[in-house]
Amino acid sequence: MTDLAAVDVTVTLDRSPVVKGVSCAVKGGGWLALIGPNGAGKSTLIRAMAGLVPYGGTITLDALDAKAMRGKERARTLAYVPQEPTLPPDLTVEQYVMLGRTPHLGYLATPGRRDRERVLAAMTRLDVTQFAKRRLARLSGGERQRAVLARALAGDPRALLLDEPTSMLDVGHEQQVLDLVDELRRDAGLTVVSTLHDLTVAGQYADTLVLLDGGRVVAAGAPRTVLTAPLIESVYAARVNVITGSDGHPVVAPVRRPSPELHDQP
Amino acid sequence: MNTPLRLAAFAAAAAACATALAACGASASSTTPASTTTPASRTTSSAGSQAGAASATAAFPVTVKAGNGEVTLKSYPTRIVSLSATATEDLYAVGAGSQVVAVDQQSDYPAGVPKTSLSGLTPNIEAIAKYNPSLVIASQDSGGLVAGMTKLGIPVLIEPAVATIAAAYAQIEQVGQATGHAAKAVTVATGMQRQIAANVKQAGASHQGLTYYWELSANPFYSAASSTFIGQVVGLFGLKNIADKASKPSDGGYPQVSQEYIVTARPQIIFLADNQAADGGQSPAIVAKRPGWSGIPAVQHDEVIGLNDDIASRWGPRLPELVGEIAQAVEQASK
Amino acid sequence: MSRRTALCAAAAFLVVAVLVAAFVGAADLNPLATAAALIDKAAPFLHLPTSLDPLDKAVLFQIRLPRVVLGALVGALLALAGAGYQGVFRNPLVDSGMLGASAGAGLGATLAIVYLGGAGPQVVPVAAFVGSLAGVAVAYATGAAASRHTVLSDGVATLLLAGIAVGSFLTAVQTFVLQRSASDIQAVYSWLLGSLSAASWQQVTTILPYAAVSSAILLLHGRHLDVLAVGDEEARALGLRPGLTRAIVVAASALAAASAVAVSGLIGFVGIVIPHIARRLAGPAYTGVLPLSLLIGAGFLVLADTLARTVLSPAELPIGVVTAFVGAPAFVWVLRGTRHVGT
Repeated sequence: MTDLAAVDVTVTLDRSPVVKGVSCAVKGGGWLALIGPNGAGKSTLIRAMAGLVPYGGTITLDALDAKAMRGKERARTLAYVPQEPTLPPDLTVEQYVMLGRTPHLGYLATPGRRDRERVLAAMTRLDVTQFAKRRLARLSGGERQRAVLARALAGDPRALLLDEPTSMLDVGHEQQVLDLVDELRRDAGLTVVSTLHDLTVAGQYADTLVLLDGGRVVAAGAPRTVLTAPLIESVYAARVNVITGSDGHPVVAPVRRPSPELHDQP
Repeated sequence: MNTPLRLAAFAAAAAACATALAACGASASSTTPASTTTPASRTTSSAGSQAGAASATAAFPVTVKAGNGEVTLKSYPTRIVSLSATATEDLYAVGAGSQVVAVDQQSDYPAGVPKTSLSGLTPNIEAIAKYNPSLVIASQDSGGLVAGMTKLGIPVLIEPAVATIAAAYAQIEQVGQATGHAAKAVTVATGMQRQIAANVKQAGASHQGLTYYWELSANPFYSAASSTFIGQVVGLFGLKNIADKASKPSDGGYPQVSQEYIVTARPQIIFLADNQAADGGQSPAIVAKRPGWSGIPAVQHDEVIGLNDDIASRWGPRLPELVGEIAQAVEQASK
Repeated sequence: MSRRTALCAAAAFLVVAVLVAAFVGAADLNPLATAAALIDKAAPFLHLPTSLDPLDKAVLFQIRLPRVVLGALVGALLALAGAGYQGVFRNPLVDSGMLGASAGAGLGATLAIVYLGGAGPQVVPVAAFVGSLAGVAVAYATGAAASRHTVLSDGVATLLLAGIAVGSFLTAVQTFVLQRSASDIQAVYSWLLGSLSAASWQQVTTILPYAAVSSAILLLHGRHLDVLAVGDEEARALGLRPGLTRAIVVAASALAAASAVAVSGLIGFVGIVIPHIARRLAGPAYTGVLPLSLLIGAGFLVLADTLARTVLSPAELPIGVVTAFVGAPAFVWVLRGTRHVGT
């Protein structure tokens, strides 16, 4: 149950500013989704929250400045899952998930009983126990994604930072994973910050959306207020219709340009 | 008034030169510039007796059978370049020292030889040619030495490492023949023979059958078996070489051995040909301290002898000195 | 197989190798007498009589045994160093001689043989040790400086390239020095090809502290290397400090390799092949690869040295030749069975 807040965060990469004074916040147990076009700075902002890039401004975890935290302490609080995680192909699922316990292990310590318990719990939660001894290279895409999430969970984090966790998954697996994350945050009180490129899905799962464009916040708030046709059309340069789905959440439907009329008819 | 006299003098000089040139042309090879000096002027300028020099030059032309086949020397070589330490010693021993103009970097005996940076291992044809030699002596034909010298018309003698003691004497005599000191060379060889025989006789017979180990190098350990030249020298004293069992035809008499082999062979005398710093610094003191060697009879009875590495690796006129060092060691061992 | 099984098998392999080596050699020692002597030494209270005379005992305990022990030490250190570098560079084609370690040792030994030949045979190991560490230091400094100025986001690749550049340079200097002094060529090449023929208890005790320290550090950092396997960024997110871990592991590997090279000369293939075999046996996790490499490396080199000193007895093959003969085909076999290893 960690509150996460970003205040006026600026990130400069290779001498060009990528995130320009972004402020947003999510309460403990909430789900903040960062949306925006390619290159808007979503991934960079998440990496700044994970402490992986230097940034200007303040990021606080439960009102404590993240910069004041030591790397290990921050790692115990936040679990970061990148868009394309590196999966050593010959490592078993169990060994890989155990890496998630690193923040809790002393410098020279080896995993003990408690660590093994937490790893087992995480694998059970993500339903990958039957693959425990199997090599990562032998898993399907969806199974791998679950293994990665298990690793994130094994560290008993209080917040999850997920960068495009479902971009490679089909609609069924995507729902599976997001349902699981939702379950986790309800059961364990995890705070979730994620980037999602699918606007509808983002609207369905997150309770706060932050729309970024060119490194700045364009809109922030409940999905209904952010996912409006004029806003999306201007930011994404796309044609959309926003309708309300059967579950009450907004659905963003792309609209195709009318095809040219056929004048010549025999 | 002086013109007719000058003309006459000029004509006389021209005639003399013509005769000299004709004589030179007949006796020396056409491309060696050094041979333009006439024998007559040489005899007057040398410090040696006229008779001796005359007989030396009278021995030419001479043909010898060296390591590179038959070599003919048309005249008394006045500029000799030696690329072999042993050959250098031979030259000076037979009295050809004044003819030597340059020796290689390994030649260091006798004192005062004209040492240069020439190399016998990797000879540089042009560098050698710069000395204008009338004869080049080397112990091996490496780097196309013979071919190069032949192209320049310079006679080369290859006097390789010998396989027998008799061959060592023969080589010294050959060097004497090639340089115009045949008689002196025979004297030297005979003297060596006598000295060596005396050493062997003095050492007595109580040491027959003692075992020895001759060390050429350590780590890796190389030894010389009794079939080698050095093995034959030691063999004069009737000693048994422990490396014989390890020697195979392929190693040419220089087998590589291991510490286990040496120690279990229990040699009673150890000769070190690598004890000088430049050769490995394996002094008797260091050898005695080698782990596991303290039980060897040679170490226990203080029979580890550091030889003069240079003498032990050459086959020239100082051979009797080497035999003397060995004799001394043997006499001590027999006691 | 499970890690425990693999470790037991490797330990057994090492024990067998040591026993074989102890009983075999140019000195044809009676096996029963040898066994009696060994047991008597290990358990003096048994007072076992042995038919080995004092000289043979000296051969066994002063010449053969230290050589076996040294071989085990050197093999363990080379394999560990190789595994350490492979973990740091996330690249399985890295040898213990990388980052200028071998080239530096070679140059140090060459300089000692050519210019300090008179100072005695003890100078060469010290020079090789110092040269090896210096080589790694220069390569590391060059790589670190370069990665601040390159566009390459992966500092690891820069480090490897710096190692190659420094190594080539040092080898060139060594060749130059050698060409100037043709009479020392044989001595230098004998050293370069690797040999344990000068093994003694004194050498064992000299390198033992360095071996112990470097091995301990490496073994304790197996878990860290496993975390590094997911890349610098993810490792940092997990609370690790990749730069610090790399520096420590490189330093420990360099120390291990330098200690080994100082007493044995350059022996190739051990650092690169043994960790692979360990991986094939018990998976890629370094918590297993490191101790396995230590045991297998030790046993392998003991056997290789035994071969080197018996095949042409009493002559000895340079041990680097034996490891290459055995290691190269082994390497090919390992490569055939390896899946494509991603970064």
